[in-house]
Amino acid sequence: MMLVMKQVFAGRTTRWGWCLLLLLGLQVQAHAQDAAVTGSVISEKGDFLQGVNVQARKAGSAAVIASVVTDEKGLFMIKQLAAGTKYDFTFSSVGYENNFYRNYLVKPAAQKNSLLIKLKEKNNQLDEVVVTGQGIGISKRRIATNVTSIKGTELEQLPSGRLDQLLQSKLPNAQIRLTGGQAGATSIIRARGVTSAFVNSTPIIYIDGVRLDNLNTVAALGGGSAQGSAISSIADIPMDNIETIEYINGGAATTLYGSDAANGVIQIITKKGSGGKTAVTAEVQLGAERSTNDFLHFKRTADLLFQNGLFQKYHVAVNGGKDKSGFSFSMNYMNSSGVQIYDQNNNRKIDFSSGYRAALTDKLTYENSFTYVNNKYKRNRNGNQGGYTGLWFAESGSSSITGPRFNPNLDSLSDADFAKMKDYVNEAERLQDNQITVNRFTTSQVFKYTPIKKMVIKATGGIDYRVMRDMMVQTNQYLTHTTGTYTNNRGNISNSERKYMGLTFELNGQYSWNINDFSFVSTIGGQFFRNEDNQVAYSGTNVRDGSRLVSDAAVRTANDYYLEVVNYGIYVLQNIGYKNRFFLDLGLRGDGNPAFGKNIGVQYYPKAGMSWVFSSEPWMEGIHNVVSSARLRASYGLAGNLPMAWANQRTIKLDGFGGEQTAYFGQPGNNDLGPEKTQTAEGGIDLSFLKDRITFSAGYYRAVTNRALFSVPPTPSSGEMQNQQFNVGKILNRGWEFHTTVVPVKTNDVTLSANLSVNTLYNTVLSSGGVAPFNLNGFSARTLQTVVQQGYSVGFLRGNYGTFDANGVLSSTVAQSYLGTTIPDLFGSMGLNFRYRNLSLFANADYQKGAVASDWDSQFRFNYGAGTEGIPQGEIDKNKRANWLSFTNMFVHKTDFIKVRTIGVTWGLKKLSAIPGIQNMVIGFTVSNPFNFAASPFDPEATISGSAQGQGGATTGGISYATYSAPRQFVGSVRVNF
Amino acid sequence: MKRYIIAGLLGVSVLSSCVKNPNLTEEAYLSKPDAAKSWAQGLRRQLALTMNGIVVNVEIASDNYFNNYTQYSKVFDVPQMDYTDVDVNNIQLLVQRLRAAAEYGMNTILPGDASATATDRALIIFSRAYAHILSGELFVALPASTNGVALTPQEHYAKALEFLDEALAVETDAVKKTAYTVLKARVYYNLGDAANAEKFALEAAASKDMLFNVAFDGQNAVSNEMQTAVFTSLPNRLAPLPRLDFLDPKYSDNGVPATEQRPVAIVKAEEARLILAEVQVSASRLAEARTTLKNLLSEVVNARPYTLLDDSRETRNGGNRNDYPLVAVQVKFDAADSLRSNYVINRKGGTMRSYTVSATRVTAAEIDAAATQDALLYLVYRLRQEIFFAEGRRMTDLGIKMPVSQTEQLNNRNITDAHIKPQIPAFIPVNRGMDDFTYDKTAGVVTITYDMNKVMVQNKSAKEIFPFIN
Repeated sequence: MMLVMKQVFAGRTTRWGWCLLLLLGLQVQAHAQDAAVTGSVISEKGDFLQGVNVQARKAGSAAVIASVVTDEKGLFMIKQLAAGTKYDFTFSSVGYENNFYRNYLVKPAAQKNSLLIKLKEKNNQLDEVVVTGQGIGISKRRIATNVTSIKGTELEQLPSGRLDQLLQSKLPNAQIRLTGGQAGATSIIRARGVTSAFVNSTPIIYIDGVRLDNLNTVAALGGGSAQGSAISSIADIPMDNIETIEYINGGAATTLYGSDAANGVIQIITKKGSGGKTAVTAEVQLGAERSTNDFLHFKRTADLLFQNGLFQKYHVAVNGGKDKSGFSFSMNYMNSSGVQIYDQNNNRKIDFSSGYRAALTDKLTYENSFTYVNNKYKRNRNGNQGGYTGLWFAESGSSSITGPRFNPNLDSLSDADFAKMKDYVNEAERLQDNQITVNRFTTSQVFKYTPIKKMVIKATGGIDYRVMRDMMVQTNQYLTHTTGTYTNNRGNISNSERKYMGLTFELNGQYSWNINDFSFVSTIGGQFFRNEDNQVAYSGTNVRDGSRLVSDAAVRTANDYYLEVVNYGIYVLQNIGYKNRFFLDLGLRGDGNPAFGKNIGVQYYPKAGMSWVFSSEPWMEGIHNVVSSARLRASYGLAGNLPMAWANQRTIKLDGFGGEQTAYFGQPGNNDLGPEKTQTAEGGIDLSFLKDRITFSAGYYRAVTNRALFSVPPTPSSGEMQNQQFNVGKILNRGWEFHTTVVPVKTNDVTLSANLSVNTLYNTVLSSGGVAPFNLNGFSARTLQTVVQQGYSVGFLRGNYGTFDANGVLSSTVAQSYLGTTIPDLFGSMGLNFRYRNLSLFANADYQKGAVASDWDSQFRFNYGAGTEGIPQGEIDKNKRANWLSFTNMFVHKTDFIKVRTIGVTWGLKKLSAIPGIQNMVIGFTVSNPFNFAASPFDPEATISGSAQGQGGATTGGISYATYSAPRQFVGSVRVNF
Repeated sequence: MKRYIIAGLLGVSVLSSCVKNPNLTEEAYLSKPDAAKSWAQGLRRQLALTMNGIVVNVEIASDNYFNNYTQYSKVFDVPQMDYTDVDVNNIQLLVQRLRAAAEYGMNTILPGDASATATDRALIIFSRAYAHILSGELFVALPASTNGVALTPQEHYAKALEFLDEALAVETDAVKKTAYTVLKARVYYNLGDAANAEKFALEAAASKDMLFNVAFDGQNAVSNEMQTAVFTSLPNRLAPLPRLDFLDPKYSDNGVPATEQRPVAIVKAEEARLILAEVQVSASRLAEARTTLKNLLSEVVNARPYTLLDDSRETRNGGNRNDYPLVAVQVKFDAADSLRSNYVINRKGGTMRSYTVSATRVTAAEIDAAATQDALLYLVYRLRQEIFFAEGRRMTDLGIKMPVSQTEQLNNRNITDAHIKPQIPAFIPVNRGMDDFTYDKTAGVVTITYDMNKVMVQNKSAKEIFPFIN
């Protein structure tokens, strides 16, 4: 277990010792009787390890007499140790096996006391301490569910602009798909299927215990286009000062989060600095961006709409601190010109993050983090926004009806005709003026109080304040150009603003104690959050070109929207261990919420689970060389999703009409409205072989969402105006989850490792409670929608199914037919890492199989005569294009894909003492989105996000329509540590 | 530490208690004065919304307009009206909302608000009557209560009469009284009750300019959708049958659509005379009918206002058909017809007349020349088509009715298989035949494929049409 490099410099000189002396110039400081022990902690690769906890005990004693953390150069110093006394030192860090140095005899101050310690990276991380879903930290072996942890260092090399993109292929049992390539596009993040037909499957996101705005679809007022791209809040989550990210994917793991976490939880833990000298890191990332043309129908579309872009990012970070305190500061500037002509997708982001920790007294520690993000991006028209849209014009054949009207088959145009088209498109793209600005401030404040040994009380409070402004200007010039009809009085400006203010408070306490072979960890806590969502939209029409003020408009309108979610919950958790190998994990949370109907009281979420680390059983000892660790786990737990705030009340809607106050039916109301509850039973096995060279994890889960919230459209005869939420549905998700990591080569110089995850998924609506089918996405019920209906998967494609006779002529059409599921039944990710000394290569990819999507662009191309699109000639000869909507099944394709997300190389230069001030340098080069292999002729990810269920509503994608693919990036980077 | 914990818990409980609900609960609304005033105004708004849903769709479903764009129904032009169709459901929602809100007004608001004015009372009651008229005219059957039994059109008409009488008893405004009277004549016309239809048509015939409009409000998101479809949106979405080109656009603005939303007529003086003439034609009182029709032209239609409009930006470029004539060409109503002029307007020739209420190209000479019942019946229906153009009436004249929607059927056990089938008379040409024409650009002649008024007269015994005959 123990990997020891215990060279003591005073005694003999070794290669390591000299290196250490040269590199670090360690000194021993001493007082009259006291001596100090210094040292350095490095990884097997030779990287200095920051943040390693070093504890000193008198040899043989359990009492910790000093505890420090290594700085960014892996250095630590423990002062005031008694010379001539033997001490035991323990070194621990997340993701590494603990190391020990026992019985070290501290030499007098005049002599050197230096240690060089190497920590071995863990593959099997059963002893890793996790926080998310557990109230206060607990080791993974004690809990009955999986928690995925990703270290910040794993994410540093990826030039991604947003958190979810960064995590693509990184979460073994979750799938993350960006629905479009424009900044701010909705992402579809799902782990254990689609548990809700109402709430988007995006997990709840926390940063240092503070709940963040995670709205991932279009907002109620503005905030993107319903059928185009949304303005996702995830695009501006701060992500440059990350220590670790923890992810739990629902079920019992999320029970602690109660009514709000059926889709899982992502928690970002930020850096808080380390003890030791101040270190400065500077990084430059520079690169090129290219449009992804793999899925374009016409070769010339790229010529028409895309440019080559430039990506640049500058990062400066300062880390430091003293024994009892640490600080971290990071500053970033990112600018991506985007690949759409006239920089219409330019994205510029500036952010600052800081973290601080301090021991205020022996018993009280304080940690905080502050982040500020300013994100600005442009957006050109996409999806189903009506009027001119670049991709609709070029790829859907609507060039045949737009402007001067063109032959819609771009590739068959003469050069002269194409030049005319290009002039037209240039102007249409140039004149677009859509700008999104987000300012976001987030802070977390944590106090930890240790009144007595083994008891911790933790109080967390924080704020996430996000202000988004979306401005769309349509000038008369633009309208005249794109509609082909002169206008001088229709120029318009539409602004929308959304202010989100989230407050989180959590107070919990944990007490650990042992009785004989039994160990207990008891946790009790309460959590409260309150989110205010304030939106205004104001617009002006008949604005003279050149003005960007609504107040300059001849006609002005305004609208507002307000939502407030308040949730309070209390939980108790009891973890019982037997001989550190068998554990029971029990918990209960109770939630109250003003959105619940008056017939609904406090809602309870129980969980129970067991974890049996049978590799620690005596009968396994003989085969430890083969089976390094093994455990069985099983659990049962509930997690929920909240209904919309105030959705329980019957209301009257007020409006203006003809200058008078106007009243009509508002929300029908539901006194029985409660949260939907997903009840998950799962079991699994985690195995590690050959000293962690092979790890394998397998699990099965069955999750049933009872009382699923369906937003039920009114029955016409009721005369009601609005949909009403009812707890009437029942949704099943079940599947297998496999994950393995194999390290076939591992020497001092070379490491090769590969990982693969495989997940199966079966999703179906077990019951819709007698409610008529309703849609999540798409157009009207007679054309194409993704629909929720009993007996089918959530969000399946529904449209007209046409059959053709022997002559290829349409013979019949069945309306509202099942055209396939939009949810894959198989998905996962894979990765490869290779290291030769300081040179590392990495690649990762993800895949899916078993879903379909509709190629609406192709259907339009058929309609506009831009292609025959596989429709039989007999039909075209007889009916021309008149039946274009009657055989939507002909445009549905499988969306199986493997996408390579990143390929990168880094080269670490460590011995740079020749350059003053520079400790080390890492040079890297990364390619994002280099290869796509897909069964569909369109980008299987790029689908209109849809929002038929309103703000934050469920979506499964499924319709490919005038949506941009994520661009390719080729980014080189240089990171220097001073 | 205890202090902090207690303070924290207190803070949390205080924060959680102050949830600001910005919405108005039903209880709060009813407890404040003057509920009837805002509720009646809500019904005016609902009338506008209901007519929006009806007018555009009914015009598409008839031979009046072709949907030349990708928005709006893509199948009503066929005409195809599936019970699964979203527009079929939406129109039902709109009609039922009018009925339910009016019912709530009568049953809950008015009894609790003594300050309600006669005008508001009458408006609420009228709205209920009008919802029943629409239910009968547009649907094969429709419930009149939540998940209730589907009433036949005749049952809806009976209820409409009941509430029209009630509204007449309350109403104080003479014009509105006339409007309600014409509506009674319309209901009796729908019921095929010639005697009562004639009685109330005559009673209302004294008024030569009665106009009962539904108003819109572009600044509060209740724009006249028909105006958007035929004028405001670029490109214009709906294209008229070329023989009706001179009537388009009925609704237009001078550049600021938000403040210039034109009203849609739901009852006007013309209708009383048209009903009267049809009673007379059906009873073979042909001379009387000729007089009635000529008076209709001279006393009412020709006196209606028009505006001068520059419609040079009209391109009829919606995308589905690109061959709509934009210059003055001659028209044949069908292949057998002779050439007619002045039906297609030269949009580039300066200002043109936009008839905001009523217009027709039927002349007194044509009326005089109509010697037979069929010839006069043909003219009555041509007049009805041209006078009610873009008002959402033509589909009913053609005998087409929508089915009960799937959403209703799935939630309401009273809906039978018969209710979910549309009524489309056998004589209606399918495959968008009603909107079809050929355009010989060289000769400058447009030939309409079907003259639907002629087709109707040729099928005059079809039970779905001509209520006084069938």
